Amino acid sequence: MTDQAPSETQAPEGGGRRDPLSMLFQSGAWRIERRLIVRPWHEVIALIAALVAAVAIIAGLVLFIGKSPADSFAALYNGAFGTRASTLETLVQATPLILTGLAAAIAFRAGVWNIGGEGQFFAGVMGTWFVYDLWGGLPAPLLFLLMFIFAAIAGAAWASVASGLLVRYGTNEILTTVMLNFVILYILSYLLAGPWQSPDTFYYQTVRMADTTYLPRFFTGSRLHWGFAIALLAALVVYWLIRRTTLGYEIRGIGSNVVASRYKGIRVGTVTLATMAISGALAGIAGAGELLGLHHRVQLDIAEGIGFTGIIIALVARLHPLGVIVAAILFGALVNGSTAMQYETGIPKALVFVIEGTTLALVLIAAMVTRYRIRKAG
Amino acid sequence: MTETILAVDRVTKRFPGVVANDAVSVDIRRGEIHCLLGENGAGKTTLADILYGVYRPDEGSVTFRGETLELHTPRDAIAAGIGMVHQHFELVPPMSVVENVVIGTSASQWLDLSEVRDRLNEFFHNYDVEIDPDAEVGRLSVGEQQWVEIFKTLYFGVEVLILDEPTAVLTPQGVQELFRILRRMRDEGLTIILITHKLKEVMELSDRVTVLRLGKVVGTVNTADVEMRDLAQMMVGREVLFQFDKERSHPGEAVLEVDGIHLASVTGRGSLKGLSLSVHAGEVVGLAGVSGNGQNALFDALVGVEQPSAGAIRIGGVDIAELSANRIGQLGMASVPADRIAQGLLMDFKVKENLVLGRHRSNPFSRAGVLNRSAIDGFAAESIEGFDIRTPSASQLTRTLSGGNLQKVIMARELSGEPRLLVAHQPTRGLDISASEYVRRRLLEERDRGAAVLLMSEDLDEIFQLSDRIAVIYDGRIVSETTPEQADLESLGLSMAGVDTVEAGSAA
Repeated sequence: MTDQAPSETQAPEGGGRRDPLSMLFQSGAWRIERRLIVRPWHEVIALIAALVAAVAIIAGLVLFIGKSPADSFAALYNGAFGTRASTLETLVQATPLILTGLAAAIAFRAGVWNIGGEGQFFAGVMGTWFVYDLWGGLPAPLLFLLMFIFAAIAGAAWASVASGLLVRYGTNEILTTVMLNFVILYILSYLLAGPWQSPDTFYYQTVRMADTTYLPRFFTGSRLHWGFAIALLAALVVYWLIRRTTLGYEIRGIGSNVVASRYKGIRVGTVTLATMAISGALAGIAGAGELLGLHHRVQLDIAEGIGFTGIIIALVARLHPLGVIVAAILFGALVNGSTAMQYETGIPKALVFVIEGTTLALVLIAAMVTRYRIRKAG
Repeated sequence: MTETILAVDRVTKRFPGVVANDAVSVDIRRGEIHCLLGENGAGKTTLADILYGVYRPDEGSVTFRGETLELHTPRDAIAAGIGMVHQHFELVPPMSVVENVVIGTSASQWLDLSEVRDRLNEFFHNYDVEIDPDAEVGRLSVGEQQWVEIFKTLYFGVEVLILDEPTAVLTPQGVQELFRILRRMRDEGLTIILITHKLKEVMELSDRVTVLRLGKVVGTVNTADVEMRDLAQMMVGREVLFQFDKERSHPGEAVLEVDGIHLASVTGRGSLKGLSLSVHAGEVVGLAGVSGNGQNALFDALVGVEQPSAGAIRIGGVDIAELSANRIGQLGMASVPADRIAQGLLMDFKVKENLVLGRHRSNPFSRAGVLNRSAIDGFAAESIEGFDIRTPSASQLTRTLSGGNLQKVIMARELSGEPRLLVAHQPTRGLDISASEYVRRRLLEERDRGAAVLLMSEDLDEIFQLSDRIAVIYDGRIVSETTPEQADLESLGLSMAGVDTVEAGSAA
């Protein structure tokens, strides 16, 4: 409250700020107030509490359908990390999630709500196939390079449709990115029903790609491919970009206070466009990795909600690029372990969506709780 | 008149790390206007919140009309007869005045609104306030909203009314109106406790004043027995200079030339309508005016975030029409915005990061798009020392700093580049005496260094204290220009209100 001591909570006489939540609860015997300083161990404790609570709720659901929670969790865990093979498979599942998680995290850092990771993922898949279709005969290193570059460009371009509309006309990017997800899916449907369709099938899919375009795998007997290394590298690059570069500074700047950023000469439009291009490129690279590492042919169900899960992962990781890796592995484990759980206990795989949703809700609550505190008035 | 209505006896209130009130004792007499005076953080608001039931004292007691007061919530306080109007209004903008008055009364569903309306009309009529009880509160001016707040409190029949910094949001005329009515209310028997850090208001309005410093009572005095200087000394703990030893200015060439600019504001209020102005090197031009007359639009145009629709702005002879905010900064312009939190700082950033905001792209703070952390750290350490920014470290989150220190961060950032032109908009708003004094001294130092300084302020004392020339802005134009030596407060006030625009037109 004095000049010297930054107090832990908002000083009673401190300026014109008032937080809506605090205002709601400012009278009465109890009050909620915003903490000025959030201590790291508070965050860790809250996060652990959130995960414990999520487990408890899910255990309740499992009990409700008449199964044993202990057996189910054991099956889930074993399916995800029980053996070397299952652990590696968890990382396979985490690979695209790291990239789409990073895509969401960097956009959200700038305060740009890119909900179009799914569509940008498809754009990346299409960009990859486009290169393969056109220049499939090129030597492998050059072809890989071109495929990833085009995947990134395609994802960036698709994201830029939304950010261009946002910067030029102020169109709400949440709406446009969501709608563009559908648009690109219909474009892909058209292509897979016509120009790109494999001639020997009625399915909406392309021909299988040549073996030379398969991303190398790390170990025999596991599907873990180079895409995982690319994803880890991307996380480090994004971390470095956000913390150490002027662009990253400006991305965080417009996310923190767009008015002050503009007053101090940050070109908000340009930074928004750059951020969305990077975000879209990351989702596009995820698409290329999935196509070249696992699927080897373009199909309509190739994305499997990876773009949307990336949003949840970014939020659970509190938009921290390295946290995204951890959260993505956690969610990859859920996806991977749930198959084993269904197989062993008969609990439907769809429970994973409940787990994801519950975890997200509780982690967000935990984030809120660490930022506020409740005090007895007086 | 001398009967004590409210007695605070050795009240102590602690918050983590601070003692907000340290054995505070005050007695409030029935029917007086009693000021609680102190700098930000002196504990005034905490004391008021204790009287209003927001906080409970850790030690000590409060006696009201001879009985010990046990308050748990503000509702208890109102029931006991103590009401408070906060600095930030607690009104529901889309609802009418009448509805706002009855909202929160437990019987509101069954209350006869017409009866409330009648009482409101009677009250407003009684005090010559013209407000329609059925008007939507969101459409009322800030001053009118304050009346609604005050009446809301009086409607419950309180005997003691606490006002927290009521003049912060008012125009000079609004302040006079408020004071006139507060005096009448006092004469009719209401006891008024006024929280403020403005000495002039204390001198003008109060019967007695209690000065607080760092949570302790420095003393309670009869206002008639003291002078402003004495109160300032009690409040700050040392002598305060009201007059700076300002040397004569030696204006050089024109650095800023504003030539007939027009700029429509989004709301329609505060548009610029052909404003012309010039500021020379080595002088302070004070731009006086009631807020909402185009100051914000002018600031935006100068900084380069808005483009005038007509007219030209030149800085050092260069037309800035086509230039970005960034390029304008490179011409040597620095700016201190009116709202430091909303317009000047990234509150989620570290202090050191805010210190380079705007220059983060230039050498030595970054090279080839990569931030140079050692350069930033070095600069931050220098600024924190040079501007006496009180922060535990350069990596501290900006949002944890106090208002005065936030302003110092902005000043450090803007002044370190030795600007040719400094545009300061309300640079001391909301700051306490010490911090204001510091900011003002820095502005004068900039002038003496040879910078052109444009000071936009609603605080006429500040304008008189610092300016070499004074221009008055009204309705988007400069309506008169004078010097502090020639100006008298009355005619300045009139042209601020747009009254004698006939004589005006001699734009700077």
